[in-house]
Amino acid sequence: MDIAEFRSELTAWLDAHHDELAPAFSPPGTLDDHVAQMQRVKSVLFETGWMRWGWPERVGGLGGSPMLRTELGAALAARNLADPGLYSLVEVLAPTLIDFASPELAAEFVPRLLSGEEVWCQGFSEPDAGSDLASLACRAVPDGPAESAGQWVVSGQKVWTSLAQYSDRCVLLARTGSTESRHRGITAFFVDMEAPGITVAPIEMINGVAEFAQVFFDDVEVPADRVLGEVGGGWAVAMSILPYERSSCFWQRTAYLARRLQLLVDAAADDERTVAVVGDAFVQLHELRARSRATQHRLAGGATLGVETSIDKVLVSTTEQTIYDAVLRLLPGIVEVDDTPVGDAWRTEYLYSRAATIYGGTVEVQHNIIARRLLDLGGDD
Amino acid sequence: MEAGERALLEATVRDAIEDSSSASADDVLVRLGWPEMLEAEPRDAVDVVFTALGATNATATVLDDVILTALGVEPRPDLAVLLPAFASWDEPGRLDSGAVNAVGLSTARVARATDLVFVCRDGVALRRVVVPIAEAETTPVHGIDPDAGLHVVRIHQRGVDGAPIESEVWEGAIAAGRRAVAHQLAGACRTMLALARAHAVERMQFGRPIARFQAVRHRLAEALVAVEALEATLTAAWDEPVPMTAALAKASAGRTARTVARHCQQVLAGIGFTTDHPFHRFLKRVLALEGLFGTGDDIVVRIGRQLMAERTVPTLIEL
Repeated sequence: MDIAEFRSELTAWLDAHHDELAPAFSPPGTLDDHVAQMQRVKSVLFETGWMRWGWPERVGGLGGSPMLRTELGAALAARNLADPGLYSLVEVLAPTLIDFASPELAAEFVPRLLSGEEVWCQGFSEPDAGSDLASLACRAVPDGPAESAGQWVVSGQKVWTSLAQYSDRCVLLARTGSTESRHRGITAFFVDMEAPGITVAPIEMINGVAEFAQVFFDDVEVPADRVLGEVGGGWAVAMSILPYERSSCFWQRTAYLARRLQLLVDAAADDERTVAVVGDAFVQLHELRARSRATQHRLAGGATLGVETSIDKVLVSTTEQTIYDAVLRLLPGIVEVDDTPVGDAWRTEYLYSRAATIYGGTVEVQHNIIARRLLDLGGDD
Repeated sequence: MEAGERALLEATVRDAIEDSSSASADDVLVRLGWPEMLEAEPRDAVDVVFTALGATNATATVLDDVILTALGVEPRPDLAVLLPAFASWDEPGRLDSGAVNAVGLSTARVARATDLVFVCRDGVALRRVVVPIAEAETTPVHGIDPDAGLHVVRIHQRGVDGAPIESEVWEGAIAAGRRAVAHQLAGACRTMLALARAHAVERMQFGRPIARFQAVRHRLAEALVAVEALEATLTAAWDEPVPMTAALAKASAGRTARTVARHCQQVLAGIGFTTDHPFHRFLKRVLALEGLFGTGDDIVVRIGRQLMAERTVPTLIEL
């Protein structure tokens, strides 16, 4: 299906089904509300086919360019039908299964994620492995020689695991080589969250929402057919996520930020300070959209996305903070002292936006990557 | 244009401009087929030529050709254009009962052309006027960048008539000018960054190249992010060639030029403060160019005013 045709049919359909899809809760809503809303929307969209475009037929999709599913996610974000942060887990985890799981495993599980039947999480970061992911220590030990192991036993701790407390499965990175093996000794697993030995401890964020959790693995048994990719090939799995996160998810984030700027433009006083602040935020948003669009087109054209997407990451992070800073400046009090639902919503989002330059690789890490890999400045001190 | 063909064109244009003295950049471009290219493939022509002019700091007058084309006039080497005054995008002339008063900027073409084309407001209408340059008062601008070739031009003349043009034509000319100048600024930014990068990896302090200090690395990384963002807005401005996308590209160019100049000059430190090093030419050129068709700041305010007046945040570009 052609993207313009898809967009216009989708727009008409979403317009016609707005009441059915719109959140029933008033803003800001609890995390329970947002997760339930996302799953309900996915379920409706899967049954009606929209959610299946852009995904391969062998995992329950209808085929077509991946840009179709990017377009859908952007429409959901722009219309406030699904939180783009939560929805991004679909965009990053389904491709992991498609690319690295056995065909049977992918065919069995991916439709459950797309249809809203299940929630999955991503177990990457650890207390001592944040920006330096290759130093992760959560360990998986085979019950025999690795090549013929029947199962693996996982022990260790993950942190910043989004939606762990809701999740049915986890794409987990664990160390299967020596501690010194860094990125070479890591393996990816597809773990059932109900397996004995897993404990989830949600972390309350600065905005009062417990979107993240610590996840403890205490001798958790994982069948060998749940290894994703090669044993010792977990770094490739982790890196494969980057292009999806930095293309589809950023385009969807951009649609969400455009919606936020629109809400600000609706509410702000029309004075000289506003026009300067809004104009500045819009130029930044347009730069981000233009860059993200170019990245999408490169991906659709068959390019392999790489370190240059650190540019996209810096732009999305800084634009997000610019827009919420504009809210703080142009709607005085709404974040600080407004106890209406509107104030609650802006406050929650404003506080969340402070993490934009931290999660997914800090802006400083992106600058380091840009300096070394794109500007060829050599190693640093 | 196919990618390989395009890369060859970029290299050819840039090499030719670099090998020529700045005075003859126009001749070089004509020899390379600029007039035909502008007519047949305006996007590639403007992108490649203005990027190369910015990157090499060469001075040419091809902006006149871009504006003439947008105004529906066949470009000629003896035909110059009166651009809006610095930091403005208002039509430069006023026409009242056959008397014209105009003031604006021109490129160096005005020094050797015979006629001058410009747009005048005549009540609610716009008119395209042509006057002999002999009737105009032209003064070369020294300013911060005497090599930019800019002139201030004033015209007071009676008995002038002009062809009516639609306001969309004038907006289209401003947009065309903004795209061209934004490309030139992007080219200049790329060279400033290359100069600062080269300095950072060569300059030794504390027993190591200063490129190894994170403070230096992060400044240059920020500069690259800004340039890449600007170039993306230029792609968008050609893909969706409406006035707003050109305005956004020019606004992005203004912000980017200042960010890149600030970071690069700081990294270049002492040598970048001298006329021994080429950086100063680029700094001065981007400041001179930034005022053509409106500064970034002025455009940002104008865009903000439009968004607030309409209470709408436009999307402009789709996948």
